[in-house]
Amino acid sequence: MLRRSSRRGFLEWAGAAVIALAGGRTLVNGVLPDDAEAYTNFCGHTYTTGNCPHPTGLPRVDRHDLPLRAADGHPVDDLGRPIDAQGHPVDAHGQVLLDPSGVPLAPAPRSKVCPAAGRSHGLELRTDGSWYRCCGGRVRRLMDCCGYTNVRVNGDEALVGYCYQGRHVFCVQYYETMVPC
Amino acid sequence: MLGGLAVSAALTAVIAGIAGAWSPCGFSMVDTIGSALGDARRGATLAACATFALGTLLGGAITFGSLALLGSLVGDGVAGLREGLGAALALAAAVADWRGVRIAPQIRRQVPERWRWTLPLPLACALYGVLLGLGFTTFVLAFAVWALAGISFASGDPLVGVVVGLAFGAGRALPVLWMAPGLRAGDGARRLDEMAEAPRLWLGLRRLDALGLGVCALALAGASASAAPIARTRIAQATDPSAANGALVWQQVGAGGLLQPNGAAPLALPGAHPALGGSNVAWASPTQITIADRGSLQPKLVLVASGVNALSVSDGWVVYRDEDAQGEHLIAVSLSDPGVRRYLAGSRLAGRVGRPALDGASVVFTVNTPRRSALELVELTGGRRRTLRAARRGVAFFNPSLLGGRMLFERVTRCVQQLRLGTVGGPAGASSRSPAAGSPGVAGSSRAGRGERVLLSLPSAVTRDPGYQRGYTHAYNSASGCPNRGAGRGGATQLAATALAARSAYVTRLGPAAGNAEVVSVAR
Repeated sequence: MLRRSSRRGFLEWAGAAVIALAGGRTLVNGVLPDDAEAYTNFCGHTYTTGNCPHPTGLPRVDRHDLPLRAADGHPVDDLGRPIDAQGHPVDAHGQVLLDPSGVPLAPAPRSKVCPAAGRSHGLELRTDGSWYRCCGGRVRRLMDCCGYTNVRVNGDEALVGYCYQGRHVFCVQYYETMVPC
Repeated sequence: MLGGLAVSAALTAVIAGIAGAWSPCGFSMVDTIGSALGDARRGATLAACATFALGTLLGGAITFGSLALLGSLVGDGVAGLREGLGAALALAAAVADWRGVRIAPQIRRQVPERWRWTLPLPLACALYGVLLGLGFTTFVLAFAVWALAGISFASGDPLVGVVVGLAFGAGRALPVLWMAPGLRAGDGARRLDEMAEAPRLWLGLRRLDALGLGVCALALAGASASAAPIARTRIAQATDPSAANGALVWQQVGAGGLLQPNGAAPLALPGAHPALGGSNVAWASPTQITIADRGSLQPKLVLVASGVNALSVSDGWVVYRDEDAQGEHLIAVSLSDPGVRRYLAGSRLAGRVGRPALDGASVVFTVNTPRRSALELVELTGGRRRTLRAARRGVAFFNPSLLGGRMLFERVTRCVQQLRLGTVGGPAGASSRSPAAGSPGVAGSSRAGRGERVLLSLPSAVTRDPGYQRGYTHAYNSASGCPNRGAGRGGATQLAATALAARSAYVTRLGPAAGNAEVVSVAR
């Protein structure tokens, strides 16, 4: 073993500090939230799996996996129309839209985003696991839409992500919780 | 008209296929299947017959179905030209076949003989059948084959093409099936010899083909004439059109119904929600429905009904939708016996049962809920009900109308609104798969599945975000977009009530402002 001289002691200390700094940075990188720049498409979404097809674009869903308009969380049908609790299309003020005869416009199907994406591609898909991240001051649940597929919605090789029992991530969606962060 | 074309072309194709038996390959097939393995393996011969027939059907369907599919891609804008050229080709081929002109251009090729020795007989015969069914891989024995290719293309209807192909394949298989099994022990050999020694029969078949092609030419010429551009109608502040026998009625926004008999000046009707059907015109007032003669407007029948907000009429029936405290109801009443009433559909919530459309005793309407969108048809005489189109996700159907077995309706997805013309009997009971991601059945194409044609295609009217958040990368995200439109506000126009006439389709276009509606015509 080296005996500590003042110079050697300083070098040892400096070396240890460098190592600690490097290790600490690794540790810090592992603990702190991901850099927002690393997200794809929307806050909280890492990796490059594409969004699940959604009536209005961004794959925001409610807790039942039904589509919501990302901008304000308003429920939408499969055609992308904002709707009321009965499924009738409404205007920007929440009033039921009427045809020229005064009859409410007809509803349209409203289907769960993940299973619907699967049926469009001949797959049986389900939401398995999730990951939560802080986005815009609220906790956001990132939900992997999983199935027995080796290909993801954008055509690349599917990743395991938060899918179980051999399933892989086909596409992604998210649920905005009410939890502040 | 295309129904007549399909039948005449199919009959012509059967005969053209039979005429193909006089080709080198036709003779070879009879001999190959009938004698290659001898009587000891008659079972193998019969199996070869079966696979050969399947092969010819498949080959025929591939060739003529593909040509028709190609024709459908040309687009409806030049449908008249396409059909006119098809008619000219059919006529020229008819003259040539009638006169027994030598076939030109001729394809001097035969099926590969080696398959007979290197493959199991049923497999070889299946492949031979495909090649013969394809029509243009071996000798052609009638100009009708060339003409049928042109007719399939001109029809622009893959269903017609497949029917012609199957008929041609059946025609190619029939002589082989007739002669091959009895080639050794039955009459097959005699029949084959007679065929080989009697080319007059072949020439006779070509003359039959010529007659069939003449009928096809007439059918195509008629379709071409009807595809000629017609004057477009545009009626401002109008909605809920209904058409019959050249006349048109509609609801004037904020007023009553108007009747325009055969292009004459519109007449005001003493009621709202007008409908035309057969010789009748109907309108509704707050407490009753009046059915009158279309020409004289003399009432024939008055029914007590309140809260009526949609109406349809034919010579034998009236169907209306009313609304009361219990919800909305769709009810049919027989005009010959008003005591006969049928309750067709109802909903506690208004707007779920669509506007009805009658043609004779058939009525179509939509039933839309958040769980399902469906186009329903009810035969009022027997009460039989059928679901014509249905979807549980991604697609909604609206505003159907009927005429002569054809149905006009709207199919709407997150990306596009389409006015489609299809057959009532097409995909009966079929569920509509939602469009695949990235290709949600969007605009810019006149193609539609199952014999349907897209008459009008508009971008969806909903607001869409770009599919990514500002400040984030947005690669790998095509599945959530719409190829026919971008983010932001959607189209300003929304399709609404329709009507179907012999030469035109009518559709209501709703503008962004309340009460902004117009009825426009679209060529069928």
